[in-house]
Amino acid sequence: MTTNVDPEKTAKDSPIEIHLATGAADGGASPPAAGAQPGATSAEPSLGPPIFRLHDLGVWYGNHHAVKGVTMEVPKNAITALIGPSGCGKSTALRCLNRMNDLIPGARVEGRVLFGDEDLLSSDVDPVDLRGRIGMVFQKPNPFPKSIKDNLEFGMKVNGIKPTAERVEQALVDAALWDEVKDRLKAEAFSLSGGQQQRLCIARAIAVEPEVILMDEPCSALDPIATLAIEDLMKKLAERYTLVVVTHNMQQAARISDQVAFMTVEGTAEGNRTGVLAEVGTARQIFSAPKDPRTEAYITGRVG
Amino acid sequence: MSTLETPAPPPQPPAAATVRPLAKKRARPSEQLFKWLVVGLTAITMAMLIWLLTSVLIRGAGSISWAFLTDKPSSNPAKAGFNSALRGSIVLMMVTIFFAWPIGVAAALYLEKFAAQSATLTERRLRERLATGRVTGLGATWARTRLWWLRIRPRVVHLVDVNISNLAAVPSIIYGLLGLAIFVGVLGISKSLLAGGLTLAVLILPIIIIAAREALRAVPMSIEQGAMALGATRWQAVRRQVFPAALPGILTGTILAMSRAIGETAPLIVVGGVVYSTAVPSLNPLDAGNEALLAMPLQIYFWTDQPQASFQAIAAAGIIVLLATLLVMNLAAIILRNRYSKRW
Repeated sequence: MTTNVDPEKTAKDSPIEIHLATGAADGGASPPAAGAQPGATSAEPSLGPPIFRLHDLGVWYGNHHAVKGVTMEVPKNAITALIGPSGCGKSTALRCLNRMNDLIPGARVEGRVLFGDEDLLSSDVDPVDLRGRIGMVFQKPNPFPKSIKDNLEFGMKVNGIKPTAERVEQALVDAALWDEVKDRLKAEAFSLSGGQQQRLCIARAIAVEPEVILMDEPCSALDPIATLAIEDLMKKLAERYTLVVVTHNMQQAARISDQVAFMTVEGTAEGNRTGVLAEVGTARQIFSAPKDPRTEAYITGRVG
Repeated sequence: MSTLETPAPPPQPPAAATVRPLAKKRARPSEQLFKWLVVGLTAITMAMLIWLLTSVLIRGAGSISWAFLTDKPSSNPAKAGFNSALRGSIVLMMVTIFFAWPIGVAAALYLEKFAAQSATLTERRLRERLATGRVTGLGATWARTRLWWLRIRPRVVHLVDVNISNLAAVPSIIYGLLGLAIFVGVLGISKSLLAGGLTLAVLILPIIIIAAREALRAVPMSIEQGAMALGATRWQAVRRQVFPAALPGILTGTILAMSRAIGETAPLIVVGGVVYSTAVPSLNPLDAGNEALLAMPLQIYFWTDQPQASFQAIAAAGIIVLLATLLVMNLAAIILRNRYSKRW
């Protein structure tokens, strides 16, 4: 009675098919009309308590209103995916969560982002300390031009964590990279492949023991095999961390996420393009029964 | 039975699509003309260089010996050596680099990494602090001064930016006059290796700043952002990640700036004059303030100014030593750049 084919795995390995992380795809075949299940999807028993609560979040770059009116919750120990067409401000919104927008000259953030019960945008919150607790992985792997070990130790040192060999090993094990690099920790990080570099960046983020890991299109520079390795890793990490992942890949969002926020672009009267949040819901609801027509148009491939 | 083994007729290759015939190779005279023009102009440049080098080598090679490098100056061309000039140049470079490097690199770090950083939050915090009315008197004045500085900072930085590029193009003799006025005139330093070194430091400061800024800019923003996303302060990110990554580039620029300084003659003549001295300068840079200003290009200038023909020969020998030094320095810069420069 040995089965070579694991149906779960087959579905996951196929890069085209939309496979829902949350379970069976009974409703997925035929997208019901918008609003077909009023009230039914608003109850989301599987998602934990919110770690972030965004209230009317907006971002300005100079006079350009890049993002406006984002109000949503991010559940703890789950994967929230931010999806949407290019330029809809999903990366910009993500960068508010660890105050990385502070580093961009001319950027201004308005609204509130409650982390627990405190507004992390408040001017008396220390952004440096905050970023130690809310880690980030970028679109393009950006290891430091140093050894693998140095890459991990840097974050620990600046956060006052003693960089022991055990901690280095643990972070690499957690990032599913240990077996590949355990014999060459002194090797240059640049000698790794793109996928390995990205896992090193994840290991580097884990090594500082954050509570949340933000990922900005972490697989967009990687091939499909490396992408699957990172996705498996994300699902594993979600057991211990809260993950917020920006992706332009809907299949990826469907494969990995528990909650999905769909952002889109609105033209303003002045001719500017502003990113807005169209809809947020469980991955299953968004992909099987989107309420907003724009979401439906996007996920069925009619736009974007 | 054999009929069964008859091989099937080979499949006919599908007929090719009809396209226009390919054009035959054709002569392009203007291409050729342009190529030979460029080759010719390059050849002229190379010929000038080769002519210069060979004429110097022919005249000076006979005078180069170990004794030439170790003897002190003399009024007798047969006994005159290059040792004092060599030592003078070494001390001069030590003084120059000691002052120019830290100041130049610090200026580059500020302009590149700190002056352009976002002030939005600092401004907001200062405004909030003033609005609460909790800060009064001196504190409020300080907060208002900082707000004012943040407002004018972009314009000041732009002004500095433009002027650093201008400074790099100022004729070196002007730096000599500046050095004479400030270091000798105002600060009262004697016309020594110290005054000369300080003058050369000011001369190469813009070059070092520009080179260091370029090296810092070559390090991708993602490195700095990656460090800061881990909870590093900007200073930690710059000091521990960006600066080490930029260091090979900064050092390459520094060596090239030094090879500019080691050949400078005009500013040294203005600061120290061309004096005949048989003194052998100490190699200790702390004594630079007491040593007469002497350097390789100054010694060469002094010798070429002499009427005797035999001095011309040792001047050529001096030029060979100076050129060899320059060659070694530029080679070091190239090796450093090729070996350590990162390709992102």
